[in-house]
Amino acid sequence: MTFNLTLSGADLLLLAPEIFLTVWLCVVLAVDCARQQIKHETLAYLSMGGVVAALIMLIGFDYADVHGALLNDTFVLDGVAIFFKIFILLATALVLLISIEYVRSFRFFRGEYYFLVVMSALGMMFMASAQDLLSVFVTLEFSTFGFYVLVAYLREDRKSNEAGLKFFILGVFAAGLLAYGISLVYGETGTLVFSEMTGMPGSYGLAIGFIMIFAALGFKLGAVPFHSWIPDTYQGAPTPVTAFLSIAPKGAAMAILIRMFYVALATFKPMWVLLFVVASIVSMTYGNIVAIAQKNIKRLLAYSGIAQIGNVMIGLAAGTKRGTDAILFYLLTYLFANLGAFAVVVGVSRRIHSDEIEDYNGLNRRSPFLAAAMLLFLLSLAGVPPLAGFIGKLYIFVAAIQQELYTLLIVGLVNIVISMYYYLIVVKKMYINEPADPTPLTVSTPLKTAIVISIAGTLLLGLYPGPFINWAVDAGLMFSNAATMAGDVSVPIAPAGG
Amino acid sequence: MGELALLAALFAPFLGAVALLGVPNQEPLLVRTVAAVSAGVALLASLYLFLAYDPDRGGFQFITKWVWSEELGIAFHVGVDGIGAPLVFASAILLFAGVFISWHIRDRAREFYIFLLILAAATIGVFMSLDLFFLYFFYEMSVLPMYVLLGIWGSHTKGYLGMDDAEGRARRDSVGFLLNFGANSKEYAAMKLTLFLSAGAVFALMGILLIYHFSPVQTFDILVLREVAAFDDTLATVIWLLVFFGFASIAPIWPLHSWSPVGHAAAPAATSMLHAGVLMKLGHFSIIRVAFEILPDATRELMPIAAVLCVFSIIYGGLVAYFARDTKYVIGYSSSSHMGYVFLGMAALDYISLTGAVIYMFAHALATGMLFAMAGWVYDQTHTRDIPSLGGLVTTMPFVAGAFLIACMASVGMPGTVNFVAEIMIIVGAWERYPFQVVVAVLGIVLTMAYLFKMMRGLFYGRLSPDHAQTLDAAGWVDRLPLLVLIGCSIFFGIFPMHFYHVVRSTVVPMLDRIHQAVPLVTHGAAGLGS
Repeated sequence: MTFNLTLSGADLLLLAPEIFLTVWLCVVLAVDCARQQIKHETLAYLSMGGVVAALIMLIGFDYADVHGALLNDTFVLDGVAIFFKIFILLATALVLLISIEYVRSFRFFRGEYYFLVVMSALGMMFMASAQDLLSVFVTLEFSTFGFYVLVAYLREDRKSNEAGLKFFILGVFAAGLLAYGISLVYGETGTLVFSEMTGMPGSYGLAIGFIMIFAALGFKLGAVPFHSWIPDTYQGAPTPVTAFLSIAPKGAAMAILIRMFYVALATFKPMWVLLFVVASIVSMTYGNIVAIAQKNIKRLLAYSGIAQIGNVMIGLAAGTKRGTDAILFYLLTYLFANLGAFAVVVGVSRRIHSDEIEDYNGLNRRSPFLAAAMLLFLLSLAGVPPLAGFIGKLYIFVAAIQQELYTLLIVGLVNIVISMYYYLIVVKKMYINEPADPTPLTVSTPLKTAIVISIAGTLLLGLYPGPFINWAVDAGLMFSNAATMAGDVSVPIAPAGG
Repeated sequence: MGELALLAALFAPFLGAVALLGVPNQEPLLVRTVAAVSAGVALLASLYLFLAYDPDRGGFQFITKWVWSEELGIAFHVGVDGIGAPLVFASAILLFAGVFISWHIRDRAREFYIFLLILAAATIGVFMSLDLFFLYFFYEMSVLPMYVLLGIWGSHTKGYLGMDDAEGRARRDSVGFLLNFGANSKEYAAMKLTLFLSAGAVFALMGILLIYHFSPVQTFDILVLREVAAFDDTLATVIWLLVFFGFASIAPIWPLHSWSPVGHAAAPAATSMLHAGVLMKLGHFSIIRVAFEILPDATRELMPIAAVLCVFSIIYGGLVAYFARDTKYVIGYSSSSHMGYVFLGMAALDYISLTGAVIYMFAHALATGMLFAMAGWVYDQTHTRDIPSLGGLVTTMPFVAGAFLIACMASVGMPGTVNFVAEIMIIVGAWERYPFQVVVAVLGIVLTMAYLFKMMRGLFYGRLSPDHAQTLDAAGWVDRLPLLVLIGCSIFFGIFPMHFYHVVRSTVVPMLDRIHQAVPLVTHGAAGLGS
């Protein structure tokens, strides 16, 4: 095996968004250092400008079908990579908007905050392109480093320190698992690149290795039984960081999981389908049932996130092209609903300095805008039409029923009803209960913008999902081969029109 | 023109709800005007649909179809047949009446009207969906506004009224309130209703997904599915049971009914009207639309289940209504009892009885709408729903008492009201196949008379309590208009039912022919497919 690590000018084009963002990050940091008196808002908008520029670049790549692989296939830019990079940058831009008001309360290191957020995003963009195990390891650690600092950012808050420590210890543990799993897989197959592993003979070493890698990625996703850090970390971390943590790493880890299982392990599909069926059922049920007992809104959203990841894994359990399409679309719906919900949490907690659900009593009287936004986001998470979450869930279920996964479907459907209970309890507090203190709450402009964008996304994906579904379908085109190989039967689709 | 009217009936309430977002709560008259105008547009459009529906042509008319997602085989495909048209009309009438009934709501009126309009628009959407996806879409969408409507603007039963101290509030707020069956708070009712209906809905969704997966083409389009879908017997039975019980939970059929009276009782008047008037009919309608259209063979084999269960609905609902002490419980249980008649008419699979069942849905919507409107009026004036503590109100509110008498007569099925037409058709049509059930149904009518007149006496006659001497009659035109509209429609269609009959019959005949296999499966519905 020889490594070809030279880069031509055309190759650099594929890396352009990452290179641009790296340079931009240095500029942001330099500006922050050079001009001590600069307002942190300026830095925020500066960082956002870079993110948006990279976003536009990637959308251009998507239209122009700029695809390719670099550095001996360790870095690929294909439909899925572009999709997840856009996903991550969208999340980053919204998180930056949400952060502006929050960062104002930091006493130190306001500028570095934005640097760290965008740096984590950069790491996750590389994750979305990782095509071999070595780059999986490197990019995963790269993206996590920023989060270690961000989670513990509130230096004087013990909860934040505790959260940072828990996140760090479990993160390092996961890294160890990942490295060990990679070494086992390399020992068995003699390669690190996914596409070269396709069709390898099975062995215990390979199975144990991949289960360890799955566990390490499971930590990022927050799937049961790798979820234990999630509630405490979510609760302790600064809320915008929680919002970021709850969406972007999940997308990046999902990109790697899809590649790994659909490409490297395509021939072992019957075995990993079982793995995902079990993981999905356990995550959905555990997340939803434990969420019922939560008194803190961030913990509630943490457990709801565990359940949502269970839903996403239904798509992986389907193991088909349609399964990945459904996952991509579902994550997109989850992005808006989840970030929106956290944005409302930021908006409320900045005013009343509490994240207890009890303190959401009468929110409708104090701020009809925040209450209505929260209502929409929670109902979207619960999967109520006409909101995005409903289409996402339906798409996932359609993928599952085509593989005739009835148990999984029934558990998924029952879980919708369970989840409705705790989402509605929050709705009840906001709308039905009377506020203890009826003073109206105000919302700052950047936060309002983020919430309005999330509402627009939630409604648009719910009412007019056609183009987005097509995008997800096109992005996953590369998997149509892998899935057919494992015995998927394509079914005719009804003719459109009259 | 017809297509436009159809879209207007569906989207006017939605647009009204969106427009209300821009109206501040400080302008109560403007809020009400916007709601009334959008409801009025929906009413006129649906009246046009009902009158313009051509019974000679039959089939689905005024069809609009936009591809929504080619990938999943979903199209926004709407149109009405002889069953959908009158039910759309009924929803619009009740929405229009409901807007005026709620005229005096003060607390967050804007939000109230937004949720009310979404609720009504979603039910209208179900009645005109020709795509299983959108049928479910609107169905589920109609459930959620109920939660907020009940929770905010609803009322508690007597036991909960006093719980306004800290301890009482804590009890009402505790997670355990779901299990508290003793006295029913509005929070309990709202949550129970939402969870019950969502649970029913996901079962129906499972059935819909099975239909989607096992049909030869992957589509949610009902018009395509009913031509091409063919399932083996076991699968058809499973799907039918999922669809039937999933949708029957909202109808509500006997063992699945317990959310319904509780929900009726807690809801504000306009919501009760829509809930009992049209939301419950979503169940029957969806069963007809999905099970009768797509699974005709399984329907023929399995519909006797409904014939058995409807007996329990009629008797149980009637008896509880007789002994209930709460005005809204009486009407709520009477509604569940009366829905048994619709199931009887459907179960008999007879031309006359099924036509009767559809007319009964319309008739019941008007009658029960009136009853709930006036129970709401009495509650607003006296702040109690407890029948024994009321009485003699005829002296203070003669108009309401008179209207209430007419509503009772309509509900019992007195000749001259549309309920009579419907009831007699169900009884005549079902007699041949289910004579026992018909005897029960006739006894049920006697029972209806007993409990309604008992309530009438308890509310309006006897001694007037001095606490209620200052209560007001419905004197203004906004208060009288909704009642007059409902009474007018009930009597008009009671005296001139023929157009109505032809409209329903034009759809029922081919549908039952398919179920009885009197004609080959492919010949029908071509009219709907072609346009």
